[in-house]
Amino acid sequence: MKKGLLTLLTISLLATILTGCSKDSIPKIGISQYGEHASLDNCREGFIQGLEKSGLVEGEDFVIDYQNAGFDDSINTQIAQTFASNNVDLMVGIATPSATALYAATEEKDIPVIFTAVTDPVEAKLDKGNVTGTSDKLPIDAQLELIRAMQPDAKTIGIAYTTSEPNSISAIAEYKEKAPNYGFTIEAIGITQQSEVTQAVDTLISKDVDAFSNLTDNNVVGVLPAILDKTNAASIPIYGSEIEQVKLGCVAAAGIDYIELGIRTGEMAAKVLTGKAKATDLPYETIKDYHIYTNTNALEKLNITLPESIKEDTVPVELD
Amino acid sequence: MNIIDLAVNTITQGLIYALLSYAVYITYKILDFPDLTVDGSFPLGAAITAVLLTNNVNPYLTLLVALAFGALAGLVTGFIHVRLNIRALLAGIITMTGLFSINLQIAGSNLIVDRTIDTIFTSGIFNVLFGNIPLIYRKLVITLIIALAFKLILDLYFKTKNGLLLRAVGDNDLVVTMLAKDKGTVKIIGLTIANALVALSGSIVCQEQRSFSSTMGTGQVVFGLATVIMGTTIFKRFGFVKGTTAVLVGSIVYKACIQVALTLGLPANLLKLVTSILFLVILVYGNYQQKTTKVVSKNARA
Repeated sequence: MKKGLLTLLTISLLATILTGCSKDSIPKIGISQYGEHASLDNCREGFIQGLEKSGLVEGEDFVIDYQNAGFDDSINTQIAQTFASNNVDLMVGIATPSATALYAATEEKDIPVIFTAVTDPVEAKLDKGNVTGTSDKLPIDAQLELIRAMQPDAKTIGIAYTTSEPNSISAIAEYKEKAPNYGFTIEAIGITQQSEVTQAVDTLISKDVDAFSNLTDNNVVGVLPAILDKTNAASIPIYGSEIEQVKLGCVAAAGIDYIELGIRTGEMAAKVLTGKAKATDLPYETIKDYHIYTNTNALEKLNITLPESIKEDTVPVELD
Repeated sequence: MNIIDLAVNTITQGLIYALLSYAVYITYKILDFPDLTVDGSFPLGAAITAVLLTNNVNPYLTLLVALAFGALAGLVTGFIHVRLNIRALLAGIITMTGLFSINLQIAGSNLIVDRTIDTIFTSGIFNVLFGNIPLIYRKLVITLIIALAFKLILDLYFKTKNGLLLRAVGDNDLVVTMLAKDKGTVKIIGLTIANALVALSGSIVCQEQRSFSSTMGTGQVVFGLATVIMGTTIFKRFGFVKGTTAVLVGSIVYKACIQVALTLGLPANLLKLVTSILFLVILVYGNYQQKTTKVVSKNARA
């Protein structure tokens, strides 16, 4: 048996040597993404574009070691520690859990951490130290304004959200705080797992909400097609928070472009990687620009006409 | 690339989670009780720790508080099962589900422990003793001490009268009844000890990675079961190796499997598949080893 363990150990050692040593001269970027998810994937794509926009070439100026934790917290920690042990030159965390794990793994190490898709960097304690990046805070004022423009008579907005997702909790708090300014009340239902989402939606429909709003809640967005079946049957429009949700059938969304967010992050990373700036000195950035996306098919189905006031600014979404 | 650092990190993770493996060893292997409380008591330990640390409570004290609350969680499952006559799986599910909300109440969905706050790895007695060695080695030494200390305590406990009763309940509970002891009480004690260990593991994880997340408990029961089965399979042949030692090694092997899968540099989505194949290889190898030994010993006798 001892032999067996030894074999295993040897395989692992060999693997480490083979994958590690060949490219030592080229700076290595370790990207840790919390899980596969359309907006997070867009962040990563954008990030690489951002590096290239800054004049860096993959394979010459940097190599990437990409890992995703599949939404598993203990694997998330191990990925971060692997990057730290390998002494990568730069770490990139996509989504809050990845960013905080990476930053924790660099304690007593001098590796800069760049994050993206983190809603609240202050809450996540990523606002000081050898760490910087971009926040994907939702443009909630713009979202409320959009719903008001599209549905002048609407009174209540229904939102389902997961009680364990920090991004959703801070967004719900802001929604509740700002809704009265636009003459809305918020009906929010918190759920703990994905299987409860449709029940929450049924409950909201029975409460006669006039519109639904989707945050970037992973559980809720994950079953969006099922939600759309229910709300379309009840003729209640759903508004989203990003382009991918509009592609799936939401009537409209006010949201940031995750590719753009990624590009901005990539440009920051390029500065740090080439030594033009230090992560310690760069403050984190919140993207102020948002876009309004609309889905013409969904609008027609629900007999909503785009008001002139927002028509010019919108980006109609191509459906494939 | 630093292979030593990689190994140190992997073993450290294995040692921290070994406390959870001991717990599942007690409930699943000794008591024959599939205890799902673990998925709730593990983040419970972390939640309490994160809140206490951010309120500047002594990190060593938080270990004890987490331990106590974990014990309480185990007590609740035991009480539901034994006194209210609810089946083992359901009793665990009830406590685990309740704890999810309780954890959210205690620490919210996420809580980060800032670097300026001291943990057991950066303060107190451990810091006095090992403060001058680099953090990742310090973490290894400290977790090794904790994991071995609890292993020894458990080994000693299993030899006491109470510990023997615990083992009897799982093997043949008639014996316990014949000894005029209440097997229900013994089960409750076992669950209490186990979940205290689980919460302690959660507490150390929180101190080590400086964060609590309400979803960190997901899959911990499965982890515990896998390490117990792997550990006991690997050491099946060696009767003298204690169960606690076997699951300690199981825990490290589990974390090493993930590390190997990570290091192989395969597409990220294949990670779990590679890990599960590694498990299978180890289990089949363990069984194969056992069979060949049997054949050898038969031949020897003939």
